[in-house]
Amino acid sequence: MDTLPFTISRVADNQWHAIENDLVVGRGHAARRLDGRTFLSIDTWRDAVFGRLAAAMATDQPQYTVVDETDHNLMTNWVLAGFTTSRREAEFVVPTAPTRATVPSGVTITTATETPLRELDQAIRDEIESTVGWHTMPAEVLPWQGGTRPIDPSNYTVAVRDDRYVGLVRVATMTRRPRIGLVAVLAAEQRHGIGRALLDHVLDGLHSWGFEAATAEVDETNTAALALFEGLGARRTGSSLELVRRPGKAA
Amino acid sequence: MSRAAGGIEVEGTVVECLRNANFRVELANGHKVLAHISGKIRKNYIKILPEDRVLVELSPYDLTRGRIVFRYRN
Repeated sequence: MDTLPFTISRVADNQWHAIENDLVVGRGHAARRLDGRTFLSIDTWRDAVFGRLAAAMATDQPQYTVVDETDHNLMTNWVLAGFTTSRREAEFVVPTAPTRATVPSGVTITTATETPLRELDQAIRDEIESTVGWHTMPAEVLPWQGGTRPIDPSNYTVAVRDDRYVGLVRVATMTRRPRIGLVAVLAAEQRHGIGRALLDHVLDGLHSWGFEAATAEVDETNTAALALFEGLGARRTGSSLELVRRPGKAA
Repeated sequence: MSRAAGGIEVEGTVVECLRNANFRVELANGHKVLAHISGKIRKNYIKILPEDRVLVELSPYDLTRGRIVFRYRN
């Protein structure tokens, strides 16, 4: 029996309010990402409001959210709402340093241009689809459902062998601490030090621009990537969890 | 149109990143509050660092606690 004095109203297609005495005491928001997945957020100071909002926001499609692993109260609220962990990311701070990258023989590290970058991007996507699958991939690389995927070559550094792009790293420098968003090497070129050479090159450049460190997130099942970043002296700062609620699992 | 409970939003500067996804934020009036990040910020993978300027919504139940609802581009 529900005796709580607040009501839940859907105030827009993707927004819900919990209202008590004409005051908004909680807000829920659903955002559809370009990969087609819907991510929820709920902000309230009261656990009971959280649960009611989460129940009101349930749909017949999977829904996702993100929590810091150490935020136990928030995690508990989402679990009570029917969410379970779908993937876990380790968060790293990666120190920059002036480095002379050891580049594998026959490989050069350079800036990217769009056409071969798109070809490499597609080749990497095809490999993921036919091997490990998408479920361990970060949001940025999930299948795009909005037409042509935007790619800004200025954010990329690439490894080239025989005039063909074989690896890439993407770095966003919009904030005070740059973020290494993606490191990828074609399967046939892996385990030759190309990923390390790309990162050494990028970290050297960031250092010369005055950045002391960058951030990166790594899927915790990706042991090769974890080893790569730990080998660069990256310091683990936490973990974030991606949670999912399958249809019919709402509490 | 309903009003937000509390509704007090103040600018501040992050002075410390704490455990449990909390931050110590010094408000413009010099008071320090313990703040967590809003769901929207978390959902968009926005990182909060010391010295970031932020907008904090204070809790109507405890004015020493808040929620970071926006990070300014310094």
